[in-house]
Amino acid sequence: MKKTILLIGFIFIGLSMSGQDKENKVLNIIAIGAHPDDCDSKFGGTAALFAKMGHNVKFLALTSGDAGHQSMGGGVLAKRRRTEAKNAAEILGIEYEVLDNHDGELLPTLNVRHQVIRRIREWNADIVLLLRSNDYHPDHRNAGIVVQDAAYLVIVPNVTPDTPPLKKNPVFLYMKDNFQKPNPFSNDIAIIIDKVYDQKIAALAAHESQMFEWGPWTNGIKESEVPNGEKERLAWLKLHSGKKNFEQIEMDAIKKWYPNEEPIDVEHAEFLEICEYGKQPTEQEIKELFPMLGNL
Amino acid sequence: MKNIIFFILIIACGISVNGQNEVNQPLRIIAIGAHPDDLDQQMGGTAALFSEMGHHVKFVSVTNGDAGHFNKGGGHLAKIRRAEAAEAAKRLGIDAYTVLDNHDGELLPTLTVRHQIIREIRNWNADIVITHRPVDYHPDHRYTGIIVQDAAYLVIVPNITPDTPPLKKNPVFLYLEDDFQKPYPFQPDIAVDITDVFDKKISAHDAHKSQMYEWLPWVNKQLANVPEQSDKKLEWLKENWTLPITPKVRQSLIKWYGKKKGEKILHAEAFEICEYGRQPSKKEILQLFPMLNLKE
Repeated sequence: MKKTILLIGFIFIGLSMSGQDKENKVLNIIAIGAHPDDCDSKFGGTAALFAKMGHNVKFLALTSGDAGHQSMGGGVLAKRRRTEAKNAAEILGIEYEVLDNHDGELLPTLNVRHQVIRRIREWNADIVLLLRSNDYHPDHRNAGIVVQDAAYLVIVPNVTPDTPPLKKNPVFLYMKDNFQKPNPFSNDIAIIIDKVYDQKIAALAAHESQMFEWGPWTNGIKESEVPNGEKERLAWLKLHSGKKNFEQIEMDAIKKWYPNEEPIDVEHAEFLEICEYGKQPTEQEIKELFPMLGNL
Repeated sequence: MKNIIFFILIIACGISVNGQNEVNQPLRIIAIGAHPDDLDQQMGGTAALFSEMGHHVKFVSVTNGDAGHFNKGGGHLAKIRRAEAAEAAKRLGIDAYTVLDNHDGELLPTLTVRHQIIREIRNWNADIVITHRPVDYHPDHRYTGIIVQDAAYLVIVPNITPDTPPLKKNPVFLYLEDDFQKPYPFQPDIAVDITDVFDKKISAHDAHKSQMYEWLPWVNKQLANVPEQSDKKLEWLKENWTLPITPKVRQSLIKWYGKKKGEKILHAEAFEICEYGRQPSKKEILQLFPMLNLKE
């Protein structure tokens, strides 16, 4: 009898532990872009979903963005963009760090590599998001390279030894771009973000200097065409981000991860590609790392 | 009668306006190679055609070529090659041939060189920028490709290299042809018939005497076969420097010149559109390459 009780007791403890493990396993996600606003535009929706579910998300900008304006620059602009990033983070429910490397001058140096290794380790990351090393902006390409360079080294104790190595190699995932060479982006994972799309737009709008000043300027949009009111600005930004018509390969990815949804009903989604460096997740592991998959 | 005169006047005006447009808005082309003679070999014919049509072409060699010889070197060789480049420019009829003073065989994609290239592109107010692909046998060629790619977006950003005003319009960036297959082979998006200016191109090769008759034959163990007489030398150059037209380049020639003409073209140069920089439509390509004649 005693033994039976003991056994039942063990089973209970076991069950409750594993239950606790699954439900309470808090994931740590770090997304690394070149400029304050890169991660917001490519991963802002998924980040908001993670945050809502109680997971920890951090955005890291490798440069201060101090070149991204037509009539301001340097430390003044960097300060403004750091504040914008903090505001965006508050809206998404995440943390945002902006490093002080110069915009337009990011190189995959050891110094920057070590900065990246430290941030990934300190966040004890399960998932690391990065840019691909082909993209229109050299800072994006170099940011992609420097995170790739960190992908294996984050587990090596002798590298950047001031910060203890990770015990488990994280999964590294690329955020989407449209460049075709040397190979196009592969839509390995699709996350529907309709539920948090307004939040994503609000976070983008927090980057005022970019969305309403520098971005329009580089696209030849006149200052007078950009609205001033808060509501109008959100509507304008939505219009310019626009509803995308998904390509077939994107719809296939949505269908794969949301078998109960009709891709045609989906308005907004974010796509990720599995990087060959870092841990290679199984389909089951992807579902555990992205607990929002399958449910809207 | 009045009507007819009016009509003729309008036609005449139309023609003169058109003619004026062509004369008053010459295109500005800048080609950026690693060594003095790279561009002559890969696009000397196209450059000569542009120049004959009244457009402005500048060649930039990112290194001074001071390692390209078996018994000459350093500043002494750089001086010889700068003079050869100036002579080649004269023979091609192009506006300028600038040889920067970076060492041959030691080019790296540093910020300093990137800024040199941004200044060159801006100061030329370029419509078209042409360079190597970042895959090629010589590291200087690869890094030249990377440096120009790095400049492709930044030439329009005012805060970058602010001593030189940014371009108002992003130029089209094109790659020169090479035979390398990985990570993907060269794609001849544009092919130019240079048959009519082939002799000019060979004459420009002849200007690079230290290369054509000394260094390159030495590398290829052909030094003993270099002819003595100048007319024989030109024949010898023609034999050695007639680029074969690959099946893909032939397809491109047929696309741009029609089947009848395209199949017969003897000498051609081909270009691939870089994904960074402005993405031209077919119509824009025809405006940027007015020598492309779609009529059979």
